[in-house]
Amino acid sequence: MAQEKTLLAMCRHAPYGHTIAREGLEAVLACAAMDQVPEVLFINDGVLQLLEQNPKTIGEKNLRRNLQALPMFGVETLHVCRRSLEERGISLDNIDVPGAALALVDNPGPYIAGFDQVLSF
Amino acid sequence: MTLHIVSQSPFSGSALKDCLSAFADGDALLLIEDAVYAAKGQTITQLKGKSVYCLEPDAVARGISIDPAIEAIDETRWVSLCTEHNPIVSWFR
Amino acid sequence: MNSFVIEDREIPLDKEGFLRNLEDWSPEVAKALAAQEGIELTDDHWDVIRLLQEFYREFELSPAMRPLVKYVGQHLGPDKGRSIFLMQLFPPSPAKIGSKIAGLPKPTNCL
Repeated sequence: MAQEKTLLAMCRHAPYGHTIAREGLEAVLACAAMDQVPEVLFINDGVLQLLEQNPKTIGEKNLRRNLQALPMFGVETLHVCRRSLEERGISLDNIDVPGAALALVDNPGPYIAGFDQVLSF
Repeated sequence: MTLHIVSQSPFSGSALKDCLSAFADGDALLLIEDAVYAAKGQTITQLKGKSVYCLEPDAVARGISIDPAIEAIDETRWVSLCTEHNPIVSWFR
Repeated sequence: MNSFVIEDREIPLDKEGFLRNLEDWSPEVAKALAAQEGIELTDDHWDVIRLLQEFYREFELSPAMRPLVKYVGQHLGPDKGRSIFLMQLFPPSPAKIGSKIAGLPKPTNCL
């Protein structure tokens, strides 16, 4: 049997400045619903998606709430770039996601190179 | 080995910087569209020691002369770069 | 426009039969939506409807099949967290039909 291709979704953007963050999440959920569960890496401004947020004030749906569904869709570990967190002064207890394990990535380069396909959002 | 493709000017956004901080040994970088503005001037110093390619038609179109440290390529070479590397990561925003 | 009348209220539906206004939902509306699918609601149906609504409150999205199975398993036990159980309740597409009857938006990742 052919080995399944490994897939990484890289989330690089803050949640509300642009629709790309939501598009990325929807792509991940769609992949997972089709039994192609990707690994997910939050890097650069993408780590900001993990902060508690209350976007009712700007009439948007809560992206972090949607992210919390990832473990239900089979994405049980969220990979997070350590340097991106540190640059933004975010500590691990700011981004705890119930039901998901957080895995810090120290060297994103070799981590990314280990996948067959990378989607970038 | 990853092929990183950047399309954003290094002066308008963080895509090139973000890409370089996720660069592994042996990876290659291709500058296309507005990222060709990184192919001359001071940005070159950040690219030292890496395999860097620049899409020549995009540079010519923008009046940018590609630094000799960077390999100018055409679209056919772009295709072969894509077949030689895996995965391919776009840094378009 | 597609709609039906329940307790003297007109309930607008989209072309696939999902509620246009989620606040129109009531148990009576659920029964009517189920009847349109040829489903008579039993206790098992109501358990899953309640969980679908909890899922939506928790995550602000409608589940696809896989997360629905997992969520039902976590809350109602492994006997019920199986696609065959959900398939029997809400054929032929439990995430979609269940969401419709529970008054949720159509799951975005549902084909």
